[in-house]
Amino acid sequence: MEDCIAKIRQARALLAAAMARCDVPQIEAMLRTADTELHWALWNLGEPVSLHPELERSRTG
Amino acid sequence: MEATFWNRHTETMPRAKLDALHLHRLQALCHYVYERSAFYRKKFDDARLKPGDIRTLEDFKRKLPITDKSEFIDQQLANPPYGPTLAMPDELIVHHCETSGTTGKPLAIPYTMYDTVRYGESWIYGMWALGIRPTDTFYFAFGWGNFAGFWSTYWAARRIGCRVISGGGLDTKGHINAIMRMKPTVLISTPTFALRMAAVATEMGVDVSKSSIKFTYHAGEPGPTALPAMREQIERAWGAKAGELLGIAEVDAFAPGCPVGDGVHVNEMNNFTWSMDPATGKEVAEGVIGENIITSYANSAQPLLNYRSHDLVRRRMSCACGRTWAKLEGAVLGRTDFMVTVRGTNVYQTAVENLIGEMEEVSNSYELILTREEENDAMTVKFEPVRTVNPDRWGELARQMSDKIHKALHVRLKCEPVPPDTLPRYELKTKRIIDQRPKEFRRALDR
Repeated sequence: MEDCIAKIRQARALLAAAMARCDVPQIEAMLRTADTELHWALWNLGEPVSLHPELERSRTG
Repeated sequence: MEATFWNRHTETMPRAKLDALHLHRLQALCHYVYERSAFYRKKFDDARLKPGDIRTLEDFKRKLPITDKSEFIDQQLANPPYGPTLAMPDELIVHHCETSGTTGKPLAIPYTMYDTVRYGESWIYGMWALGIRPTDTFYFAFGWGNFAGFWSTYWAARRIGCRVISGGGLDTKGHINAIMRMKPTVLISTPTFALRMAAVATEMGVDVSKSSIKFTYHAGEPGPTALPAMREQIERAWGAKAGELLGIAEVDAFAPGCPVGDGVHVNEMNNFTWSMDPATGKEVAEGVIGENIITSYANSAQPLLNYRSHDLVRRRMSCACGRTWAKLEGAVLGRTDFMVTVRGTNVYQTAVENLIGEMEEVSNSYELILTREEENDAMTVKFEPVRTVNPDRWGELARQMSDKIHKALHVRLKCEPVPPDTLPRYELKTKRIIDQRPKEFRRALDR
């Protein structure tokens, strides 16, 4: 499971980079949904992740 | 052997690891609500408590004030729709539900998009354990409205990847016809409505035990887990396996069933729960009946910490199914405030009493007679007109009372006048509820 968790964390980092460079609302919404799902996966694997990723995104714009 | 776990990794997580995870999440939740909710900041301040003071699970249970639904309703009434109970920016609220308002005013429930994901997920653990799979088709036998239970089941069905058929807007015969035509495999309804549909189908000459339905899944009132007689009736009528979820609209679908069938497991990825003696406020030991106190991680828009459910439960920390998540044997065994479900609507003694008290020509003495009629719990209100009211007007008073209850509680109860001063008076504990239902249709503590 450790390898799976590491891959999910890498995927979130890639998504964050893509979101930072994206100015298309449709694609931005898709990336946001994808990141929520990956955060949810980590949460349901018992990983110590933040409570509310949507607030982090809203802070970063 | 086919997996019965939606997520074996966490459903069988050792208790010590689960508790460490809870502590980490509860500490983060305390910081979150202190920073973002005026309601909780005041709670903490009134208790002279800072989020950093919560260092153990015992700290959380003992130091953090208990919360109750009435507090949230009061705050919302003063500043609608959500008032200081809201912890998320308004622009992140994407869905709104409400409680039925049967205890008084309805509670408004805001959700973020992520909250709807979390809430829907809770249902799935029990559905998966029962045998429901992505190839199944759900039939929803109800109107939608603002009721969280129905919406969250829909969120669950989408997450599993099942086909969804809505029965919204159809009458009972319409539901039967739709089921026979569309051939769904999962029926979602209240348990009593499942039995009502089967009875109507028989009148139509349709045998639903031979229909496509393989599973029935229920919530909203005592069902197959709390009432074994109910399970036997539903499973025989539909020729299907019946499952039950225990949820609370404003909290989460927090206890999604167990394949053993004699209880429900708390979804410990979404909720932290413990049992409290309602008289002393202290925690009771495993196996001892107490009130279920819930903290939800699922509702970030309107967080609920150390929230009173008023459900009396018996908690076990192990189960033959292999899940380590806390198990509530028999689901809800009783209520701290007496409640009965009449045709899908929760009716509280105190709510009826308050309405009777508002009628000037009626005495304070009354009785609520509980019976079982056509697969439903039924309630008759016996009341006394005051002596100055002419008996010719008693019938009119009964109609007024029935209308008043219907308007406030959304359920029509039979109201029956009896001559003044004929109902029993009590010096000490008043007995208002006369339960004439067969024992198998009462919750364990009401038998």
